[in-house]
Amino acid sequence: MVWILPPSDTEERDSYGAMYQRILSTHRRASLVSASSVVMLVATNVDALCASRMLVTLFKHDDIGYTLIPVSGRIKFAEVIRKLRESHVDLHSLLLIDMGGNYDLPLDEYLGVLNPKVTIHVIDSARPYSLFNLFMGGENGDRFFLWDDGGVESILDLKEAWEITEYEPEPDSDKDSDGNTDEEDEEAADMENLSEDDEDAEDGSKKRRRKEESGARKRQRKGDRISDEDWEAHQDRIEKHYNTGAYYGRSVACIMYTLAVMLEREDNELLWLGILGLTYQYIASRISAKTYENERELFFDEVARLNPQPQENDNVHSFLSINPDDIGIRATTELRFTLLRHWTLYDSMFNSGYVAGKLGLWREKGKSRLSGLLAKMGLSITQAQQSYSHMDMDLKKNLVSKLEEVAPEYGLTDYTYESFMKCYGFHTQPLSAADAVEGLDTLLEVAEGIRLEVEIEGTRNGGEWFGVGRIWQPDAQEKRQVAQVEVSKNSKAIDAVGMPETQNNSESKEFDWWERNFWTAYDAIGSIQSLRRSLDLAMSVHRAIHRTGTAIIDRQDIKNMRNHRVILLTQGPDILLFSHYGMLRRLALWLVDALRDRMPVPENGQVKRRALPVIVACLNEIKASYIVIGVSASLDFGNVHKNKFAMSFIKAVSDLNLDLEFSSFDCSILELDKNDLKIFLDKVCSI
Amino acid sequence: MALPQSLRVSVTPPELELVASQQLVEIVPLIAMEKTAFISGAYGPLRPPNKAKVPLWMAVNLKLKKKCHIVAPEWLNVEFLQERVNLETTQPTFSHLPLRFAEIAKVILDVASNDLDNPDKIRSLLKDLREARQAKSRDGLKELDHSELSLPNLCSMEINEIRPYFVQAMNVLTQLVRNPVPDPLR
Repeated sequence: MVWILPPSDTEERDSYGAMYQRILSTHRRASLVSASSVVMLVATNVDALCASRMLVTLFKHDDIGYTLIPVSGRIKFAEVIRKLRESHVDLHSLLLIDMGGNYDLPLDEYLGVLNPKVTIHVIDSARPYSLFNLFMGGENGDRFFLWDDGGVESILDLKEAWEITEYEPEPDSDKDSDGNTDEEDEEAADMENLSEDDEDAEDGSKKRRRKEESGARKRQRKGDRISDEDWEAHQDRIEKHYNTGAYYGRSVACIMYTLAVMLEREDNELLWLGILGLTYQYIASRISAKTYENERELFFDEVARLNPQPQENDNVHSFLSINPDDIGIRATTELRFTLLRHWTLYDSMFNSGYVAGKLGLWREKGKSRLSGLLAKMGLSITQAQQSYSHMDMDLKKNLVSKLEEVAPEYGLTDYTYESFMKCYGFHTQPLSAADAVEGLDTLLEVAEGIRLEVEIEGTRNGGEWFGVGRIWQPDAQEKRQVAQVEVSKNSKAIDAVGMPETQNNSESKEFDWWERNFWTAYDAIGSIQSLRRSLDLAMSVHRAIHRTGTAIIDRQDIKNMRNHRVILLTQGPDILLFSHYGMLRRLALWLVDALRDRMPVPENGQVKRRALPVIVACLNEIKASYIVIGVSASLDFGNVHKNKFAMSFIKAVSDLNLDLEFSSFDCSILELDKNDLKIFLDKVCSI
Repeated sequence: MALPQSLRVSVTPPELELVASQQLVEIVPLIAMEKTAFISGAYGPLRPPNKAKVPLWMAVNLKLKKKCHIVAPEWLNVEFLQERVNLETTQPTFSHLPLRFAEIAKVILDVASNDLDNPDKIRSLLKDLREARQAKSRDGLKELDHSELSLPNLCSMEINEIRPYFVQAMNVLTQLVRNPVPDPLR
């Protein structure tokens, strides 16, 4: 694989622009082109969505026909590759957006089977990279291009270690590696497997087969045998690369924006999409606050460059567009209250993980603390429960200053962060980046497939919402109904509640809903009306998460298994909602925030604050399975630890010989049979 | 045109826009292009940063792909339009404006408003112009007779607007003139 680094001022090197030109020139020179000559496989998250949209804009400018295929996980990936081989004969460029970096792509199992003239570009934010991917050379390896953010330079010295462990047999084992070896780890082939696994287990947990290298290479190197300690040292370095845990590098949307700048085609639309990608990474706890701050500063300069500055006024929260055609972006200081401008102040504080964690809002005591905080700021509960657009003007203006005075007493020290917002002329009020990301993320997860009740605006009149609402519908109801009528002809009622009658129908529905969601979200990026509507859905989702989280903590349902906090979700009104991976991840992150400050772990009689990783398992009754996710926790808000669960899950699955496929790209979330849950959890916690 | 016969009273504004898009405008290209033959003629070469004259349709296409900047025609700016508005409101006759100014202005404002100076003011001035001229053409139609209608300096959109009416009206008036109704009191 050839890795492409971001453009640098100091040295002349090929960068993203050159790669893009390569796609362009191959397209222009090819004799047989169609819309399927350039194919983009896009992972289903907000970052990839924004990046794909940016790339699509660039392709449209250059009149390149393309095909965009959303891919939700490994199974779909394999299916798509198969289809590409069979039907796309004029394919010459394949782009993997936010996926594939940790798979051994040159292998036949993945992309090795594709026609050799196809070039493959991998743009992935997940780390660590698969070393096989990076260092595998040869004709097969060199048609892969990895668009990196510069981080790859620090692991280039692993190349030597990799080659040695890869191509040389373990010095003290005399047996040849016969047939196919099994890997415990997710990524590279560890030669230590040779000695440990004698059996050739065909369980579905193994991620890739390693084709045996030809004996010739081994014979060559036999001459200069490497010593045991050196080999072990190299082995350790490789393992360390993988075992420190999964983390995320620069967002894919940021890389796309860098490409646009290199091609001198940046504008406000692309800039906004880049900002959304970065904000998504921050909100989904993929990157730490510090990384976010660094990247944000770059975007701040861009915003200043491309947008005229509004007049300075002392009203920091004057979020108005200057004129009806103002579609500019402005930098703002945002409060950490989710969806503040679209909800009531009380609700947005109630449902933000940050505040919930600091004040302990799952208890009555916590709720009274919140009211106390509001009272100290001079707000009555009814005032705080007015929707934001009807809040008193002077309250809005002074909100930040009042918070500054009062909040530190309650432990809320870090309640603002810098972000951006986009104006939409006089259509609607400006939308902040975080809100847009919330809306898109919700659309991607639950636009269809789950019925959620949404509050009807205006029926509340300042008070708590007691739950009478309407079912949220995505736009274009007529089209959707036609499709549903057809669907229901072939298969029994799905009714968007997710209760199909037969098993195979549920499979096809499962693959359909996320794809439709992807396209709904894709359309919503361009349409502010759809985005605003999706915020209602986002609010319902937040409520559901809060309800479930509160119920869990109330029930004291958190077990402590050997340094892990394990939570089983077997009942509750929202359990169907959490059979979606993204929702489960959100719940897990909410729990991490909530449990951070409030539940110290008693250890040897003294109460010590520890940040224990959290495992959440949610029951899916229809399929009689559990969906398990593991997230690492960090001690302070805004720090992100590397996630070791991917490795431990894979190890546990292979050790126990469980028969399952990892269906998502991220191996820290998987689906298990009901009966295997207990042994699996035991195994994971003991790793 | 694909409208059914009953709806074809006159040329539609999008058609007029299409016709107007054939006019040449000046652009500042951002990419280089050789002299290329199109159906309507050969245009180019485009050598950034030199300006070039291309048809409006081509300029719009390039602008949407961010490959050029459109230079406003010399009449599409605040001073010229302000002066014209003043003339319109003070004198009873129409002021002189380019024949297809409404279409060209619309196209450029839609696509390249960031290449213009103060596009909001231009939009409001164009609106003022339209209203003033519309009032005058309504007055002018009152003087319609069977043989002649003289409204100098009317522009293509405005002509198109009143064409169905005055064509029909002139037909009727001609018939009336040819066959005068005898005075019943005689």
